[in-house]
Amino acid sequence: MKGRVLVADDAAFMRQMIRDILEAEGLEVVGEAVDGVEAVEAFERLHPDLVTMDIVMPRCSGIDAVKRILSLDPGARVVMCSALGQETLVMEAVQAGAKDFIVKPFKPESVSATLKKVLEKAE
Amino acid sequence: MDLAKYRALFLEEATDHLGEISRALLSLEKDAASREAIDLVFRMAHSIKSMAASLGYDGIAELSHKLEDRMDRVRTAGRVAPGEETALLFRGLQALERMVAAVAKTGEAPAADAELLRELARGGEAADALKKKLPTSSARPLLRRP
Repeated sequence: MKGRVLVADDAAFMRQMIRDILEAEGLEVVGEAVDGVEAVEAFERLHPDLVTMDIVMPRCSGIDAVKRILSLDPGARVVMCSALGQETLVMEAVQAGAKDFIVKPFKPESVSATLKKVLEKAE
Repeated sequence: MDLAKYRALFLEEATDHLGEISRALLSLEKDAASREAIDLVFRMAHSIKSMAASLGYDGIAELSHKLEDRMDRVRTAGRVAPGEETALLFRGLQALERMVAAVAKTGEAPAADAELLRELARGGEAADALKKKLPTSSARPLLRRP
């Protein structure tokens, strides 16, 4: 699988875990962001093929960041990282334009399948 | 996956988060409606839950989940109820501190205190009943200890 990915999560632990899963699949992590503001800035600077976006983050939530990114690039591909119990927020993000979601705790094969599907749709 | 690497990351980040929760609870003693402190405790509990669940530390994941849910209800209420609720949140913090310390010492997380879980959940049954479960096969931890 090929693609340049931006990882947005306020927890270094989760960023590392996503990075390991992505790199094992041959994807390139081109940047990391620790909150929604950084995610939007990094998206503008790096133009990644895909963004993995945590929902609960400081300064600007993942959902607000998705909205800002899509206002900059309506074709942007963002996959939300959610946890059980965040169904309403996931729905809000998808309605805002997020392409899909992955659920914590991550299962590598499930994460890979979701990202592959989103990247292939883009081609 | 390198379990030792993730455990070290968990211990470092969880310890930082618990320190942040402690400072936020102290500020809530002075200002029970501090939105910043309420949001911070919610966010830190959420983060600890995700990390612990990824490593199979079920007791920590369960307790931090209950604390997160409680803080979600506090957000809705707009303030922490002084006295009993503040004391309960501190008990939750102290229990998490003990459990994370146990992971550092033994590599294992103890079970959560059932009575504390019940007390944190009190008043949230109706809200929980409204939540739907996500259709996912990702509900098991990525990293299980052998």
